[in-house]
Amino acid sequence: MKTFKYILLLLISISIVGCSDLEEEPVGLLSPETYFTDKASVQIAVNGVYTFVHDRFFLAREAGMALMLRSDMVGISDQGTRQERIDHDNFTDLADNGNTRVAWPAMWEIVSSANLAISGAQFVELSDAEINPLVAEAYFLRAFAYYHIVRQFGSVPYITEPVTDVDAASNISKTSVDDIYAGIIADLKFAKTWLPATQASRSLASKAAASAYLSSVYLTRGLWKDAFDEAKDIIDKKGTYNLDLEPNYQNLWNYATINNSKEPIFNLDYIGNVGIGNPNTDYIGPLSGIRGNSAYAHGTGWAVMAPEIEVYNRWNGRDYRKAVSLDTTMVDNGVVKDFTQFNSVDGRNQNTPFIAKYNRMIGDDFGGSGRASEQNYLLMRYAEVLLIAAEAAVEIGDDASAVKYINEVRARARNAAGVGDTNYPPSAEPADHSGSVTVNDVLEERRLELSFEMKRWYDIVRRDLGPTVFSSTGLEGAKAQFNPADDYLIAIPADEVLRNPNLGN
Amino acid sequence: MKLKLKMTLLVLMLVSISINAQESYTIKGTVISKLENSPLPGVSIIIQNSQIGTETDFDGKYSLKVKKGDVLQFSYLGYATQNITITNQKTLNVSMLEDSSELDEIVVVGYGSRKKSDVTGAVSSVKAEELNAFPVLDAAQALQGRAAGVVVQSNNGGEPGAPISIKIRGNTSLTASSAPLIVVDGFVGASMPQANDIQSMEILKDASATAIYGSRGSNGVVLVTTKKGRKGSLSVELNTVYATQNTSNKLDLLNASDFATFQQLRNPSYTQGSENTDWQDLLYGSGSTVNHQLSFSGGTDKINFYASGNYFNQDGIILNSDFERLTFLTNIDAQVTDKLKFGANLFGSRGTQNGVPTQSTGDSANGGGDDVIGLIFRFAPDLGVFNSDGTFTENSVGDPVDNPFAVATERVNKTVSDRYRANFYGSYDIIEGLNFKSTFGFSTLNENIGTYVPSTLTLSDQGNGGKATISNRQSTNILSENYLTYTTEIGKGKFTALTGYSYQKTKTERFSAGSIGLIKDNFSYHNLAGSSGTVVPTSSLVESEILSQFGRVNYDYDDKYLLTATVRRDGASNFAEDEKYAIFPSGAFGWKISNEDFLKENETISNLKLRASYGVTGNQAIPSYSSFGRLTDVQGLSNGSVVSGVAPDQAANANLRWESSLQTNIGVDLGILNNRISFSLDYYNIDTKDLLMPDFGQPQYLGYQTAAALVNIGEINNSGFEFQINSTNINKGDFRWTTDFNISTNQTEVVKLLDGIDVRLDASPSYFSRSDTHILREGETPGAFYGYKYIGVYQGGTLPEGTATFAGGVAGDPLFADVADESGNVNGVIDTDDQMIIGDPTPNFTYGITNNFTYKNWDLNVFIQGSQGGEIFNMTNVQLFTGDGNTTYENFNNAWSTSNTNTNIPRVGNNSPREFSSRFIEDGSYVRLKNIALGYNLPESVLEKLGVQNIRLALSAQNLLTITDYSGLDPEVNYSAGEAGNNSNNTSGFDYGNYPALRTVNFSVSLKF
Repeated sequence: MKTFKYILLLLISISIVGCSDLEEEPVGLLSPETYFTDKASVQIAVNGVYTFVHDRFFLAREAGMALMLRSDMVGISDQGTRQERIDHDNFTDLADNGNTRVAWPAMWEIVSSANLAISGAQFVELSDAEINPLVAEAYFLRAFAYYHIVRQFGSVPYITEPVTDVDAASNISKTSVDDIYAGIIADLKFAKTWLPATQASRSLASKAAASAYLSSVYLTRGLWKDAFDEAKDIIDKKGTYNLDLEPNYQNLWNYATINNSKEPIFNLDYIGNVGIGNPNTDYIGPLSGIRGNSAYAHGTGWAVMAPEIEVYNRWNGRDYRKAVSLDTTMVDNGVVKDFTQFNSVDGRNQNTPFIAKYNRMIGDDFGGSGRASEQNYLLMRYAEVLLIAAEAAVEIGDDASAVKYINEVRARARNAAGVGDTNYPPSAEPADHSGSVTVNDVLEERRLELSFEMKRWYDIVRRDLGPTVFSSTGLEGAKAQFNPADDYLIAIPADEVLRNPNLGN
Repeated sequence: MKLKLKMTLLVLMLVSISINAQESYTIKGTVISKLENSPLPGVSIIIQNSQIGTETDFDGKYSLKVKKGDVLQFSYLGYATQNITITNQKTLNVSMLEDSSELDEIVVVGYGSRKKSDVTGAVSSVKAEELNAFPVLDAAQALQGRAAGVVVQSNNGGEPGAPISIKIRGNTSLTASSAPLIVVDGFVGASMPQANDIQSMEILKDASATAIYGSRGSNGVVLVTTKKGRKGSLSVELNTVYATQNTSNKLDLLNASDFATFQQLRNPSYTQGSENTDWQDLLYGSGSTVNHQLSFSGGTDKINFYASGNYFNQDGIILNSDFERLTFLTNIDAQVTDKLKFGANLFGSRGTQNGVPTQSTGDSANGGGDDVIGLIFRFAPDLGVFNSDGTFTENSVGDPVDNPFAVATERVNKTVSDRYRANFYGSYDIIEGLNFKSTFGFSTLNENIGTYVPSTLTLSDQGNGGKATISNRQSTNILSENYLTYTTEIGKGKFTALTGYSYQKTKTERFSAGSIGLIKDNFSYHNLAGSSGTVVPTSSLVESEILSQFGRVNYDYDDKYLLTATVRRDGASNFAEDEKYAIFPSGAFGWKISNEDFLKENETISNLKLRASYGVTGNQAIPSYSSFGRLTDVQGLSNGSVVSGVAPDQAANANLRWESSLQTNIGVDLGILNNRISFSLDYYNIDTKDLLMPDFGQPQYLGYQTAAALVNIGEINNSGFEFQINSTNINKGDFRWTTDFNISTNQTEVVKLLDGIDVRLDASPSYFSRSDTHILREGETPGAFYGYKYIGVYQGGTLPEGTATFAGGVAGDPLFADVADESGNVNGVIDTDDQMIIGDPTPNFTYGITNNFTYKNWDLNVFIQGSQGGEIFNMTNVQLFTGDGNTTYENFNNAWSTSNTNTNIPRVGNNSPREFSSRFIEDGSYVRLKNIALGYNLPESVLEKLGVQNIRLALSAQNLLTITDYSGLDPEVNYSAGEAGNNSNNTSGFDYGNYPALRTVNFSVSLKF
C-alpha cells in the first residue's frame, strides 16, 4: 500500500515534464515586423537617428579628429599620442587605421537607422501631410551622413532600405560618387519640401538646414549656379527661417547663449554629463585642450592636437575671431603662462596657442576634462551660407554679391567692441573687400571664420588645395607624405574590404 | 565528547524519517574494500550453482533473495573471491581483500555506471586522492595534468575567484562555448562542488560516451559524483589548510632615473619626476589562503547521509583582491522498500569576490586605465602615489591614466554569488532487472555585482563625480528526467537497455542601475539616490528550453565482445523555427582480447582490450533569440535631451542550426603483470560542422547594432593521441611507489569557412587600437597569430631586398618582410598587405607525471606538468617596447642606437604603431613542478590515545619550479579580454596583464573521528 503512495509521487514528478513546442517568446525585444504601428513609433525611430549623429565615434571624437588633423590648421601636439592620429596628420594612415575603423561604422549607423525610420513610416497609414514632415528629418539625416561618407571615402555602397538579406547586401558593388550625390540631393530636396521652416531647436532638421546643406552639396559638386541660388534663397528668407549672424562671435561657443542664437542652422546639442555614455560624450575639448591648464573648471586637456604656430603667426591680430578661436595662455598652478611656456609645463604641449572653441565656455556640467560638455557643435551656420553664396557668386561672375556677402562676415569679425570686448576697439580689420574678390579670398575667409569647425579639410579636397597648403609655404610646413592622388580620400578599413571585396575595386 | 554528542544528535535528526523494516527473505549488506575501508560497487554476488545473483550498487550495497544454506559467492576483479554460507543472517557485510595492484573499478557514465573493463568509450577517471593532492579553489583546477586530453587553465592567473576553464580534446567550436558539460550527481549543467566533497570525476571524451548528452556533448562531459554516506558508524572529518602565496616572477622595470633617461631619448624635454616608485613592490604582496572543511557521514540499513560545510578564504597577492566562499553539501539516500529508493542532493554556496581590475578590456576612452597590471608597467616610476596636494598622480607619459595603486585601492568591484541546487530522485525496481528512475531538480544562481569608481580617481572617473552601479542576475534551471533501465542475461550475453526523456528550462533575469555624482565617495554603491544623476537602468529576461529523448543499449557477449549504441534526440528553443530538432547517434565496439582463450592464461598480459567508437554530438550553446530579426533600443541625445530611439539590431537568420561533431575514437587498453602496469592509448578524430560564429564577414556598412550576427560559418577538425601509463613500480613491505603518466596531442585545423574568406580577429587591449591579432584561415590552426614578419632593425641606407619599414622609417626602426600584394606588387612600405600568419599557439603535446611514494606513515606526491611547442604572443612586450610607459632593462640596454647597432631591439622612440609582428612571438613550452606534497599519518598508537581515527599532516608547494624559455612572467597565459574577449576559443596564447601566477606553500591538517 505504502509503496503505491511513493509510486504516485514518482508519477507526479513525471508529469512535471510538460510538453513544450520550444517556441521562443522574447519579452523586451523589438521585432521589425511588428514595431511600426503609429506616428509615435516613427518618432522614436527618428530619435534613434539623432542619437547616432551625437555619438562620440562620429564628429565628437574619431571622425571629427581625423577631419581636423588632416587639415592644415591642426597638427599633433603630444608626439606620444596614438600612432593612428599621427598618421592622419601626416597622411601615413593605412587601411587598418584604428581611428578610421571606429569612425566608419559610426557613420553607417546613421544611415541604417534613417533607412529604418523611412521604411517604417510606410507601415503607418497616415497622410503625407501628417507623416512626411517627420520622415523628412530621417531623409535629411541620411543625406547628411552620406555627404560625410562620400567626401571622406568616395565611392561606397549606397543603401536606402533596411537590409533583410545580409548575404546579398554583403556582396553589393560600390555606387559611383555621382550617383551617391544624386541620392543625397534627392533626399535633401524631399527634406526641404516637407520640413517645417523652423524647429523647436537647431539640433532638429529644419527646412533651412535642408536648404543650406543643399547649397553646400552644390558647391562641392561645382554646381555654382545652383549653389548660389540655394544659398541666396536662404539669405532672402532669413526672416522666415529666423536666421541671422550672431553679433558676438564668441557667443557661438558659449553654451549659455548658443541655444538662443539665430545663427546656427544645424548643430549637435550636448547637455552635460547625463550618464548615458558614448552618446553624450564629446571629446574634441579634451583632445584639443592644453595639458596641465587649470584655467577651466573642467581641468586639464590632453594636448593631442593643436594648431601649428603659423596659424597664429599669420592670423591678423586685429581679427576678433583669432581671440575667440585660440587660447594663447594657460594657468599653471595659479600662474598665468603664455604659449611660449606651454611645453615647459608639460612636454606634451607644443609652444603654440591651442584651440579655444571647445574649451572656453563649455558649461557647468562637463565631465572629466570637458568630455561631456553643454556645448553645441556647429555643423552649419548662417555665416557659412553667406560664404557659400560668396564663393558661388565669384564663380558665376556676380562679383557684387560676392563682395557683399563676404563683407557681411568680415563686419562682425571686427566689431568686437560693439559686443563688449574692449581689447578689440572698432577698426577696419579685417578690412572690407572692395571691388572684387577671388575664390581664394573666400576660401581664406572660410578657413578663419569656420576655423576648427571640421570644414577646412573638405575645402582642401574639393578645391584641390593640397599641393599648395601642404608645401613648404603651408601652415604646417612641407608634408612630405602628402599625395593628392591618394590622400584626398581616406581608405575604407581593410577589414571592411575583406568583408566585401567589391569595396576594393 | 561534547562534540560527539552534538554530532549524534544531528545525525538523529537527519535520520528521523521513519522507516519500517519489511519482513522478507531478502538478505542485505554492504561490501567494502578492506584496505581502503570504502564501499565497493559492482561486486558480483551469485548463489552458487544457480543463475541467481546481483551486483552491489554504487554505494557497495546489495540485496538478494536467499534461503538458508545457500552459498553466496562474492567476486570482484582484483579481489579475492569469498564464499559465505547463509545461516540466518538478515544482513551480511563483507570486506574484500585486494588481490592485485589495480582495481577494476566502477566508472560513472551518463545515466548509469559501468565496470571500467566494460567501457567501450574514451573515459578518464580522476579519484578523490588526486583531486585533493593539494588544496584548490575550484575542483576543476585539480584536473590539470591528471587526465589525458584535458586542458585546464585559470582565466586569469592567480586571481582569487577567477573562473577555471576546462577543455577536452581541444576546441571543437570557434565561438560557442568549448566548456564541457558538467553533470553533478546527475544534474546536467550544475556548478562544480568543493574538491573535498567529490568522490570521483569521470571525463567522457568520445562520442560513444557523450552522445547520451546529445546536443551538449561535443565539448566532452565531466561527470562529478559527490561523496555519499556509508553504512556504519558516524564518521567526522575535519580538514584545515593554511597557505601563503607569492608571485612567482616580476618584470625588471626601469627605476626613476633610468626611466627619465629613457623618456628623454623619445622626448628631450621630458623632466624627471621627484619620486622613485617600484609599482610592482607596492602592488604585489604575499597572499594567503585558509580552507576549513567539516564533514560527517554515516548510514543505517535504510538511510545513509553525507553532509559537509566548507569555508574558503583567499587574500590575493595584489592589494585589495580577495575571495571568500561558504559551501554546504548534503546527500541523503533512503531505501524505502526493497524496490523503492529516494534520495536528495542539496548544495549551496555563497562566494564573495573583491576584484581589482586586471586583464580588463582596457576601455579606449580611458586609455586602458582600468587595468592594474598593465598600469604597473605603463606608469612612470618617477612619480609617487600622491601629488603634493594629496590627490593621486596621473601618468606623465602615454595615455592619461590614474596610477595603479590608486586604481587598485580606490575602485570597488564586489561580486556576491549565491548558488543553490536541490536534486531529488526516486528509483523503483518494477520487476527483476527493470528499474525506473525519476529525477527532479532545480538550481538557482543569484549574482550581485556592485562597482564604484570614486571621484578621487580623476581620470577613471571621467568627470562623473563618482559612479556607482549595481547589477543583478538571477538564473533558475529546472531539470526533470525519467528513465528506465533494463538488465538481463541471455545465454552468454548480458544486455542492458536504457531509455528516457528529459526536459530542462533555464530562465535568466537581469537588471542594473547606477548613479553618477554621488554626494559622498564612501557611499560606494550603497546609496544610489544620494547622487546628482543616474545611469540608464537596464533589465532583461532570457529563457531557453531543451527537450530530449534518449536511449542506450549495451550488449556484452561472453565478457569478450562489448557493444554500445546510444541515441539522443534533442530539441532546443534557441534555434531557428525549422532547425530546432536533431538526432545524435553513436555506436561503439569493444573486444576484450585478454579474455580469449589464447590469452587467458598468459602470465604477462593481464588485460588487453580494443575499443572503437563513432558518433555525433552537438553544441547548442548559443544565446536565446539569435535567429530573430531584431530592433534594439538606443538611448542618446536629440533636441537637447536624452531620448529613447530604436535602431536595426540584426537581420533574421532562418537557417541557424546546431553545431555537430562527428567523432571517431580508437583505443587500446593493456594491463601487464597482473595489471601492475597498465597502458591506455586513444586516437580520435573530430569533424565539427556548421560551426556557429558571429559573422565577422558582415560588413559594417549594413549599420546593424549587432555588428556580427551569429551564423553557421564552417568546419574544423580536431585529431590527436592520448596515452596514459599507470604503474606500480614498487610495492614491497612498507614501501610503495606508483607513477601515473599521461601525454596528449591535439591538432586543430580550420577546414572550411563561409565562402572560404579569412576571418581576422583582434584580441588586443582596445587601447592598442589594433585591428588584427589572429586569423581563421582554411587549412590553418584556428586563432593563428597574424601580423608582420619581423626581420630585424633597419640600419639605414638601402633597404635589404624584400624588406621595408612603416612609412617614414629611419635607422633604428623595425624592419619587416615586404611581401607582394594580390596583384603581385611589392610597394616598398609596410602596410596591411604585408600581414601573414606568424605563429601558432597550439602546443604539440601536453603531459603530466605523478609520482606517489608511500613509506609506512609517510607519503610523498610529486606532480610535474608541462606543455611543449605552443607559441605565446607577448603583448606585454608590445607595450614595453612602445615607449609610452615604462620598459625593462633588457629592452632599454639593448635598444638600437648609433653606438649599439648589433641588436634585434629597435631604437627608443621607434615608429612602431604597437604593431603585431613576429618579434613578440616566443616559444611557450614549459615544464612545471606543479605540486610537491609530503604527508604524514600519525601512528595508530598515538591515535588510540587521542581517540581519533586518523590524523594527517601535510606540507605541499605548488609552482615551485618552472623551466621555460618564455621571457614573460608566466607561460600559462590566457589573455582574452580584448575586443574578441567573448570569442576566447581562438585567442589562446596571448599574454597581457594577467593576474600573476602564484607560488604557494600549504600546510594542512586532517582529522577523522
